[in-house]
Amino acid sequence: MEPSSPDSLEALMARLADGDRSAFDAVFGRLQPPLYAFCLRMLGNEADAADAAQEALQKVLERASDYDASRRVMPWALALAGWECRTLSRRRQRRREVDEAEAGERPGEDPEGTHVQRQLVEAALGALGTLSEQDRETLTATFWDEAASVAGATFRKRRERALQRLRQTFWRIHGLG
Amino acid sequence: MDSADPSLARARARRAYEWGRLRRAALGALPLLPLVAFSAFLSSRPLPTWCFGLLAFGLGTALLWVGREPQRAVLPGLAAGAVPLVLALCANQVHLCGPDGCSTLCMPACIAGGLAAGAGIAVLGFRRRAGVAWWGGATALTLLTGAMGCSCVGYSGLVGLLCGFAVGVVPLAVKRAVTPAGPAA
Repeated sequence: MEPSSPDSLEALMARLADGDRSAFDAVFGRLQPPLYAFCLRMLGNEADAADAAQEALQKVLERASDYDASRRVMPWALALAGWECRTLSRRRQRRREVDEAEAGERPGEDPEGTHVQRQLVEAALGALGTLSEQDRETLTATFWDEAASVAGATFRKRRERALQRLRQTFWRIHGLG
Repeated sequence: MDSADPSLARARARRAYEWGRLRRAALGALPLLPLVAFSAFLSSRPLPTWCFGLLAFGLGTALLWVGREPQRAVLPGLAAGAVPLVLALCANQVHLCGPDGCSTLCMPACIAGGLAAGAGIAVLGFRRRAGVAWWGGATALTLLTGAMGCSCVGYSGLVGLLCGFAVGVVPLAVKRAVTPAGPAA
C-alpha cells in the first residue's frame, strides 16, 4: 500500500497523532501481527515474542503523538521491536546465567546449541543495527515479508547491496574478515 | 506478562497511547506556567491570577490531550487572551488621580481587551468554520488567560472582560447569521 493512501499505516498513524482515536484499532491491528512475527523469529519463543512485541507496540503508541508523517512507520516499529527483543534476550540470558550458577549444570539438556543460536541471531541483529535506514528497510522487507518502498529490479539490487554490507559489517565486528 | 490476551494487550497499548498524549500535552502547555508566574508577580492580586493561570494550564493540557479540533483552539485562545492580560497588567501600573481620589485603568483595559480578543476569536472561528469544540475551547482559554490580568479589580474586571468578549463576538455572529452560507471551501 502506498504511504500516501488514506488507508496506509502512515496515514492512520498521522490521524492517531492528531488525536483521532478511531484510528487506534486499525493501527494496533496493522502493527501487532508483523511485530509479533518479527519477535518470534528473533527470540524463537512464543511467550517472549508476545512480551517483546507488546512492549514495542506500547512504545510506538506512546510516541504516536510525536509521529513525524514523513517517516515510514514499519521500519521504525521494527527497530523498536528489535531493541525490545535484544533487551529481553539479554535479560533472559542474565537470569539463565544466574540460575545456572545457582543450580549447576542440569543433565540431559543441550543449552549450548540454543545459546549459540541466540548469540548468532543477536550478533546479526547488532550488525543490522549499524546499517543505514534504507538497508535496514530492505533487509526487513526481505526477511519479514514487509512491503518495501520499491519493488522489482531496484529492490533486488538494493537487497544485494544491503546483504553485502551486512556481511562485511558482521565480519568486521566479529573479526572474521 | 499477559501479552497473549488480545483484549488486555489492546487495553495496555491504549493506556500507553493516552499517557503519551497526556505527557506531550502537559509539556506543550508548560510554557504557560512562567507566563502565569510573571503575571502574578506584576498583579496587585496574585492569588486569583495564580488560580486562573493554573486553570488555564489545566484546560490547555486537556485540550492538547483531546487533540483534533480542541487542540487547534489552544494557540488562538492563548493569543487572544494575552491581549486583555497585557492591557490589564499595563493598566494596573497606571493610576489616574483627580480631586475625588485615585482610580486605575484596569476596568476599561479589560473591556477593550475582551472586545479585541472576542473579535479576533470570532474572525478566526468563522474563517475556519470551526466547530463547537473549537469555539468552546478557544473562548474558555481566552477568558481564563484574560482573567489572570482582569482580576486586578475583582469581579467587575472579570465581568468587564466577559462583556467585552461577548460584544466582540456578537457582531460577526449576527453578520454570519444574516449572510446566506456560500459553498463549502
